[in-house]
Amino acid sequence: MRMIGPVESYRGFGLQDHMCWVHCDLVDYRPRLSEFFDEGLERGLRAAYVGSGDTEELREQVAGFTDAGSQWTPESVRIISFNEICRAGEPVDPVQVIKKYAMETQEALTDGYRGLRISADVSDLVCTPEQQDAFARSEFLLERYSSRHPLSAMCEYRLELGDVVTQFACMHAAVPAGLTPFQIFACDDGAVGLLGEFDLASKSSFDRALRHIQPAPDDARLIFDMSAVGFMDHHALLSLDSYAEACPVPVAVRSIPPIVRRVARMLDLKNLGHVRPEDL
Amino acid sequence: MRTGAARSQAGHYHEAGFYSSDKEFRALIVPFAEEGVAAGEPVIIGYDDRKNALLRSWLSDPLAVTFLGDKSLYARPARAIATYRRLFEFHVGMGAGQIRIAGDVPHPGNGGTFAGWDRYEAAVNAVWEEFPVWGLCLYDTSTAPAAVLDVVERTHPRIVSPSGQRRASGRYQDIWHFEGLPFAPDPLEETTPTLELLDKPPAAARHAVARIGHGVVGDAILDDLLMGVSEAVTNAALYGHPPTTVRIWATADSIVISVHDRGCGPADPLVGLVPGPGGVMPNPGFGLWLTHQLDVDVALNRADDGFTVRLRAGRTAE
Repeated sequence: MRMIGPVESYRGFGLQDHMCWVHCDLVDYRPRLSEFFDEGLERGLRAAYVGSGDTEELREQVAGFTDAGSQWTPESVRIISFNEICRAGEPVDPVQVIKKYAMETQEALTDGYRGLRISADVSDLVCTPEQQDAFARSEFLLERYSSRHPLSAMCEYRLELGDVVTQFACMHAAVPAGLTPFQIFACDDGAVGLLGEFDLASKSSFDRALRHIQPAPDDARLIFDMSAVGFMDHHALLSLDSYAEACPVPVAVRSIPPIVRRVARMLDLKNLGHVRPEDL
Repeated sequence: MRTGAARSQAGHYHEAGFYSSDKEFRALIVPFAEEGVAAGEPVIIGYDDRKNALLRSWLSDPLAVTFLGDKSLYARPARAIATYRRLFEFHVGMGAGQIRIAGDVPHPGNGGTFAGWDRYEAAVNAVWEEFPVWGLCLYDTSTAPAAVLDVVERTHPRIVSPSGQRRASGRYQDIWHFEGLPFAPDPLEETTPTLELLDKPPAAARHAVARIGHGVVGDAILDDLLMGVSEAVTNAALYGHPPTTVRIWATADSIVISVHDRGCGPADPLVGLVPGPGGVMPNPGFGLWLTHQLDVDVALNRADDGFTVRLRAGRTAE
């Protein structure tokens, strides 16, 4: 079972969890990363540290993260540089990022591990609006991939990014409590899950998050699962309807809370369909 | 082509009739329905079971008349306006030259509450203007309170008597000049609120209502209250003047919520009853229109100190 929703602790990660966390500096991040990797190795997972420096720099960073005598080896804790995936200072290519993660995950399985566990401080990759848009899309693709493959990820953002973090936090299945009022996550059957509260206060964040969601190439339709929606007002429903209008495949919702369904009927939405879970 | 008294009229022909016996009721409603059927016009009737049964027994061809059995039709004024609008759109689309409707809005004389329906009776003079509708509103003078009958005279441009005589209402006020019933405070509002929030976001108001309302009203009604308070606080922040004050009163079986800001409130007299200017979404009236269709009592109060949206549910609102 994946961790979905606000969490109080970063501990207890499963094989497919995707979590966002925020740190002040490396001193704050290192012990969490060490514990995260140690726990993964004990569970038979390969770990991978992902960063935006060159590989040697990253390897030195990792060496400083752990005590002498730990079980970390170059074989069990891999180094992945974003420089292998994208050019420094440019937006990431979301598809290439996921291809890299998928390849590493497959390699870990081939090498006898139960899966791959990655962590990265991605703050340097989200400095400009273009970088932010690209990275948010890669976060959603990672969310979708980890929901179906043995890839667990702890994505770290520096506190100094401020409100910018929210647009990435909402694209994770698990986030620290209080960081974002809503989340968008991947269901294991391919649907897009919505969780939390959606109102005018979060409308611009929700609109931006929706722009980062694209149907997979083989999706005949895109379904939003609303079983974890605590509240949704008409502003958010109109956002979903606008998204459905622009989406290249039909968009429908399922498990819509009764009050939200009534409001949707009052709105007479033209583009957003509805499916019953038993119809899937 | 329109027939009867509304012949050559445009838009909604809104007429009231007063009766004090079944005989007078029959004299008013039967010609209205029979002539409509004879002219091939849709005739839609929305009375209670007793009056519907009476009318069926009086009509020569009751099957030619549509009797609305849905008791929720007159549950909320905004819902009734929207439901009728959909019916009108359907019949006009089918080529109807005129649509005749008659029904009974709730008031103390028929076991209901008239609050809000005064605005409905005034609003329908304006909101159905694009449809060839003849609306006949019949009120029983032996049971309807004087305050209700007073509103009826001021909201219907025309009056018909059981003898068939027709006249213009000399007291008619159009929607822009209509003086509605005064706001009636709930007794709970005179007491210290269970909770008061000052300038808090909609989420904080929802969480407070959820906490206080749990167990006081059913889950479905509580959901409606959460939607209503969220829309009201959002509107206050968008269109009102600070501070926005949310007050919640609760007893074992009732809950009252007021959302007050220092602004003068929406100027549109139709606010809450129709989706808003041009039906364009979102707009200042849209949230209030949605709120007015929920299964909770909604009242608006414009006062010297600002504008208040009040929501009530449970025993108090019944």
